[in-house]
Amino acid sequence: MIKGYAVLDFVGKSVMDSYQGVTQFIQLVVDSLAEGFRPPLRIRETVQQLYFIAVQSLPIILFCVCFAAMVTILESSFHMKLVIQNDSMVPGFAAMLILRELGAVVTALLVTSRVGAGIAAEVGTMKITEQIDALRMLGIRPIHYIVVPRLIASVIGLAILTIIANLVCLFVAFLVSEIYLGFTSGLFITGLVRFIHFQDLVFSIIKGACFGFVIPLVSCHFGFLCASGAEGVGLATTRSVVASSVIIIILDFVLSFVFSFFS
Amino acid sequence: MIQFEKVVKRFGPRTILKELTLHVPAGEILFILGTSGTGKSVLLKTLVGLLRPDEGEIWIDGQEVSKFSEIEYLGIRKKCGMVFQQPALFDSLTVFENVAFGLRRHYRLPEAEIVSRVHSSLAAVHLPDASEKMPGEISYGMQKRVSLARTLALRPQVLLFDEPTTGLDPITTASVNLLIEELSRQFSTTSIVVSHDMTCALSIADRIIMLDQGRIVEEGSPDHMKRSQVPLVKEFLAEVVT
Repeated sequence: MIKGYAVLDFVGKSVMDSYQGVTQFIQLVVDSLAEGFRPPLRIRETVQQLYFIAVQSLPIILFCVCFAAMVTILESSFHMKLVIQNDSMVPGFAAMLILRELGAVVTALLVTSRVGAGIAAEVGTMKITEQIDALRMLGIRPIHYIVVPRLIASVIGLAILTIIANLVCLFVAFLVSEIYLGFTSGLFITGLVRFIHFQDLVFSIIKGACFGFVIPLVSCHFGFLCASGAEGVGLATTRSVVASSVIIIILDFVLSFVFSFFS
Repeated sequence: MIQFEKVVKRFGPRTILKELTLHVPAGEILFILGTSGTGKSVLLKTLVGLLRPDEGEIWIDGQEVSKFSEIEYLGIRKKCGMVFQQPALFDSLTVFENVAFGLRRHYRLPEAEIVSRVHSSLAAVHLPDASEKMPGEISYGMQKRVSLARTLALRPQVLLFDEPTTGLDPITTASVNLLIEELSRQFSTTSIVVSHDMTCALSIADRIIMLDQGRIVEEGSPDHMKRSQVPLVKEFLAEVVT
């Protein structure tokens, strides 16, 4: 009987904590949007964050998406040969997969692990060292000072990174298809033109921007809730990466579903 | 000047401040002593709206502020400067920029005036040559003094110190304590100091309050405290004797 109560107590507390967490996150989203339109524009901080989020993430993203593109085109070829004994549609199919999924999602997950973790740790450290309280004492709204520049930079940065990642992915896919799979450049481009459209790139950019919206908000949310000590910062960082990754995957499904009505 | 009326502050099931009533007249140096986790820092943060009371009223300069919005609190925070337990300096800014930060935000001063105030504040905390250094390049004690300079630069009417000497060596502790007294007397500010340091409290406080589990268990002048029969006060005094 006591065990039953303990389980009930645990479930009840978990539900209440989750509800409270979601409520606080929604409040942060609303406040951040409202603060985004309030002066002054923090251009210097936004540019600094853009450099951190986009420019400094570029090498690792390019490195990883190259391999992702190689795997995609090789696997596509292997499976098409296996199922329909013909891989002539591989360039177009792989390009579609890259534009619709790979470019945006792989980029966002990499940015989450690099930038999201960094933001959560930074904000968490600011919280436990009372820098956020100091900001408030000095008349600065923490959301305006901390969240808004990161949010703007992340939305712009992810949109740009997604475009670059897509282009690099396509280029690598082209190289693999020509060098390893024996497609000519003409065949590859014909495949691309037949399967993909400009709107696929637009949808990909929209996905990237939406993921860019989620990453700093989730990271700042966990940073603001950070408990004291190194353990608290570590926990906030871990939680922010896990939550951002899960939200990105769910959001990817939702956006893909919505975009399917426009394809 | 400052008045707490039956202030209650809870964190979940724990009640930190229990119907706390306190009056601090203008110009007084008040020390709040007590063991860790007894609500001293919460008291300071509640005063300036960094935490909100669950019940009770807080009056500053004849205004009831406990229901103020974040925007309304800006005016209160201009009057009250707070030195935190941690130095709370902004890592990406130099010492100069840290001290100038609040000045630029709170006041529309000419740059020459900002420079002058920053340098005079740094001189007041005996750090005239540290302005171009980054917080990471100076010691913890110096960081705490920069934090004090950042607060002083705003010339607040009320100075709030949250354990200003925690983590400092005895020599820096003595110099910070002296500084608190000098600055409070020099600028006629009302100072509230949260501390564990009974020695310092006895030497510079006008009044001392002993807080235990969210309630005031003893208050009075340093002489009164020396004669107090409250066990917790006697324990603190024993530390002074030893």
